[in-house]
Amino acid sequence: MTDLTTEQVGAPAAALCPPAPPDDLAEVTHRLNALIEALTPLAELPLETVEPVPALGDPPRA
Amino acid sequence: MTADRTDLAFLGARQLAVLVRERKVSPVELTQLYLDRIERLDRALRAYITVLPDTALATARRAEAAVMRGARLGPLHGVPYAVKDQFDTAGVRTTSGSRIMEHHVPAEDATAIARLDAAGGILLGKLNLTEFALGGTQQFPFGQPRNPWNLEHDPGGSSSGSGIAVAAGLCGASLGEDTGGSVRSPASFCGVVGLRPTWSRVSRHGSFPLSWSMDTPGPLGRTVEDAASLLQAIAGYDPKDPLSSREPVPDYARTLADGVRGLRIGIIRELTFGPETDAEVRGAVVEAARRLERLGAVTDEISLPLVPLAGAIFMALADSDGAGVHFRWLRTRAADYDQGTRRRLLTASLIPAAIQQRAARARALVCAEMRDALARHDCSCARPRTRRLRPSPPRTV
Repeated sequence: MTDLTTEQVGAPAAALCPPAPPDDLAEVTHRLNALIEALTPLAELPLETVEPVPALGDPPRA
Repeated sequence: MTADRTDLAFLGARQLAVLVRERKVSPVELTQLYLDRIERLDRALRAYITVLPDTALATARRAEAAVMRGARLGPLHGVPYAVKDQFDTAGVRTTSGSRIMEHHVPAEDATAIARLDAAGGILLGKLNLTEFALGGTQQFPFGQPRNPWNLEHDPGGSSSGSGIAVAAGLCGASLGEDTGGSVRSPASFCGVVGLRPTWSRVSRHGSFPLSWSMDTPGPLGRTVEDAASLLQAIAGYDPKDPLSSREPVPDYARTLADGVRGLRIGIIRELTFGPETDAEVRGAVVEAARRLERLGAVTDEISLPLVPLAGAIFMALADSDGAGVHFRWLRTRAADYDQGTRRRLLTASLIPAAIQQRAARARALVCAEMRDALARHDCSCARPRTRRLRPSPPRTV
């Protein structure tokens, strides 16, 4: 995935909250790109074999 | 009082409860001892956001009277404790470490607090934390918490004050909250025992949320027994938290007495022997494993290939949840957040839904991998929360 630019990140950010200062926006763009990159290996996993739910609830009683 | 005052401050909750029960220590003297130490040391350590001398001493006097009249005593009777300022305390300001909540005074105690009080604990005050229990706070609104072993070192977080206060003898034990390491990290950095209970074992009611599917209160103490005592007091179903477990609460102290003989312990290869782990830290883990073997445990190396992805998965899920919690304030009070918190929440608000969904499925795979390992082992063991032996100095002074 190509890195997002501050302009691309700035548009949805402005819809969420008052316009972020430029240094905030630069940092947010950096963090978002880093997180997306860190999650790239997930695409190689058999994600379709599981449901996207946490392991919640008590285990079944024997 | 029979023991040296400083020694008493470092005895730990379980031993203090025994001394109080045996009338060897007065809850009032004990409470005053901790208040004196807080007064003397906390200007530098900044473990506490709010200290409650009047109510703590009033509770201590009632506790002392109960001892003297031979009343039935709770397991933590007369033990002064403190809690992360993320937990609601009736009539006492609860800030979650943020200026946004600096005037927030809840009407009701969090369930965990009510249970510690019912067990006989004496609440000394509210402890410092990273803002809203997120990491990365740049300027702590209520003072920079510092590691008591070295004031220039990070105490860990987000339950920073909970680790500091136990390590510095500023309370008998403490309560923190752990979403992705927020009890374990300060416990590791400050050299005390911290326990993240199984999610749902302890009610989240009255704890300011970060991630609904990962938040859990957890104890910090000077010993494993202390952590067990606090967990015993706070664990169990709570109708105010519909996701809390209805499973019966084990007798943790009895389990401790069983020792480790025969336990099967898996040492996680990816976290213990990976290139990111400091050699000295790795050596300490290996030595700990050897000691456990000498005590009768059986250890072996296990591989959990997906575990190294857990950090990024956590960020995608927990931070997304946090962004939802903070949605309104991000719109209306963005400037009132610490810069680090604001940037992290804003980043989380922009994580694409498809990626968040992918992370949710990946979490299920990580959980399955861990469950599979625990089917063959009683517990797993890895490096401590930190990869490095010496945490970085705080960013701000």
